[in-house]
Amino acid sequence: MNLSYSDEQNMLREQVLKFCESDYTFDFREKIVESNYGHNPETWKQFADLGWLAVPFSEENGGFNFGPIELAVIFEEFGKALVAEPYLANVVMSGSVLESSSNELAKQTISEIIDGTTQVSVAFSEANNGYNFHDIETSVDDGKLNGVKTVVLNASFANSFLVYARNGDKPVIYLVDAKAAGVSVNSFSTVDGQNCGDVTFENVEVGESLIISHDNDASQAINAMLDLANLCICAEAVGGMTASYLKTVQYTKEREQFGQPISNFQVLQHKMVDMFIEAEVSKSLLFKAMLQLDGKDDEASKTISGLKAQIGKSSRQVGQAAVQLHGGMGVSDEMSIGHYLKRFTVIDALFGNRNYHLNNFSNL
Amino acid sequence: MDINFSDADNQFRQEVKDYLENKYPKHVKEKQNNGEQLTKQDMIDYHKSLYEQGWAGYNWPVEYGGTGWSPTQIYIFQEELGYANTPTILPFGLNMVGPVIYTFGNEEQKKKFLPDILEFNTWWCQGYSEPGSGSDLASLKTKAVRDGDHYIVNGSKTWTTLAQNADWIFCLVRTETTQKKQEGISFLLIDMKTEGIEVKPIITIDGDHEVNSVFFTDVKVPAENLIGEEGKGWTYAKFLLAHERFGIAGVPNQKYSLKLLKERTKDFADDDLKKKIADYEIELSALEFTELRTLAALANGGHPGAESSIIKIKGTELQQRLTEMYVEAAGQYILPYEGPEGFNSNNTPASNVSDFSSQAVSRYLNFRKTSIYGGSNEIQKNIIAKAILGV
Repeated sequence: MNLSYSDEQNMLREQVLKFCESDYTFDFREKIVESNYGHNPETWKQFADLGWLAVPFSEENGGFNFGPIELAVIFEEFGKALVAEPYLANVVMSGSVLESSSNELAKQTISEIIDGTTQVSVAFSEANNGYNFHDIETSVDDGKLNGVKTVVLNASFANSFLVYARNGDKPVIYLVDAKAAGVSVNSFSTVDGQNCGDVTFENVEVGESLIISHDNDASQAINAMLDLANLCICAEAVGGMTASYLKTVQYTKEREQFGQPISNFQVLQHKMVDMFIEAEVSKSLLFKAMLQLDGKDDEASKTISGLKAQIGKSSRQVGQAAVQLHGGMGVSDEMSIGHYLKRFTVIDALFGNRNYHLNNFSNL
Repeated sequence: MDINFSDADNQFRQEVKDYLENKYPKHVKEKQNNGEQLTKQDMIDYHKSLYEQGWAGYNWPVEYGGTGWSPTQIYIFQEELGYANTPTILPFGLNMVGPVIYTFGNEEQKKKFLPDILEFNTWWCQGYSEPGSGSDLASLKTKAVRDGDHYIVNGSKTWTTLAQNADWIFCLVRTETTQKKQEGISFLLIDMKTEGIEVKPIITIDGDHEVNSVFFTDVKVPAENLIGEEGKGWTYAKFLLAHERFGIAGVPNQKYSLKLLKERTKDFADDDLKKKIADYEIELSALEFTELRTLAALANGGHPGAESSIIKIKGTELQQRLTEMYVEAAGQYILPYEGPEGFNSNNTPASNVSDFSSQAVSRYLNFRKTSIYGGSNEIQKNIIAKAILGV
């Protein structure tokens, strides 16, 4: 057992941190969020040039063969800077599904994701299934795909979709071009400044060559994607919680009321200590989850459910306290602090919320 | 970074299991598993069995007779002991005064005290709190006045855990009245057999006699029992508190109790309780990894500092939550009172009032102490605010 990051992992963190500090200020982020759903093609190009889009892919597929630990490092730093770029949708989610496939088309698509020339979203969620991700209505009959997927992350920019569907009662994942006949996208801004959409498939022709994964492999690919995606957004939340308590400490030292900095008041001090503790214990559980996932431990899924449940509670507490201690500034859109709370709220809602994962943990 | 145990670690785990199977005293094991109270002799037998195994100084450096184990080994050791429901290793000698002596004591003191601590020939207790000095520990008034080659000690200590069994007490005493109250404090080791010491029991709300008042009237203590420098006791006291907080969370014992609770409630049709248990279990594993992270930092040459305050706060909150869930799970069967002398009746209560139920309330009440002792959780928050957040 070894709980220290390697030199390579520390260097990766340093690189992401430096980038966020110099090229991804909060003002810059806000411009991108307001003008283009959180996605800036030049920033994406920088990600590609820095090699970040290649992080989790196997060497065989042109990647760095990094695992959950490196992804968690990146997401922790992204979380601190509120990075809104569609890294999760493309590199983590689509990446995870594509990497598990032996289809040549999947390999080709991976290389395009790595060089930043294409964007791909996994379309798995539906209006009627809640968090029962495998209970889907979208189906294929006679080579034609029909159905509606909803809350598809980054739908505005996706060039193609990995569509989770049923062929009879067998699960299957197709790669469908966003411009194919019968595909229509209705996209929205998300509450945290990114984008998602409803994607409708109406008699879309899907040949066998578009099958990325089928039967048990397909449902396994979705489960593995959900585990990895949950781990990544939990790491993002840990970064966000760290930033939230640090910014709050800083603010209370500067803000004066009753003739002194409000950080002198013990009530506020203890609240900030609680924020710090929640961030730290969440980080500890993140360690356990990422190490288990990295080591392909049988318990990994259960631990990730536990982590997601913990993050749901801790990040809400930290996010709300940060807003509270910033007073009126906390509810002002121009300050970054409220945006962490927004992101925490979205993170909890994604891929099973606290309640879902608490039940899941209890039953596993 | 990896979570897997090496072959050597697994072999070490087997050694711990072998000890528990073959050398952990059978009579202690039996009483522990039946939930019976242990006697002083039982505790001594248990600690001596660890000493004979060479494991008493499980977190001490090799040069003072410790094991010099890696954080992973300490983790495995504590985990296996917890799973086997062994008694808690008494912290007063091994985790408190021992590290103070080997860090700040002189050579004679090391030679005189450390071997007996390891071998458990001496039972130590902690003379910190006073009737007027709880969270504001530095306001303590017990006085030690230098008289030739002795100190004359007058005053009283309170909440002294297991002083009724103790051979020695380590005390914070005031050797000088200074402007800054921390500066006049010294760290003194006192033989409990010395004339002028009186121990009186304090019965806590669970009905048990665990803590005491200790009174000092003109107690003559050789000056050679002073640790480090006169007036520097506060530094040693803080060092000790940081060590005390470490391991205070009792994660392995909590894991054992959790296992029992889950077995007991597995057929309950109470989803609310099940979710509470799940929530608790998740937080316990977060705490466990917080401890592991701290151990890893220690192994890289750090000292337990303010981070150990996190472990104290979270660990004791979780302990308390666990005891509450036991009460909740036991329902009305908690009512018959089983004190240290057993039930106040010639018969034991019927059927469902198992050990699980009859001890639930005692434990719940007893564990209220955990957020109070070792520096109350509010004091821990003050420490974190100052030392880590810088406010």
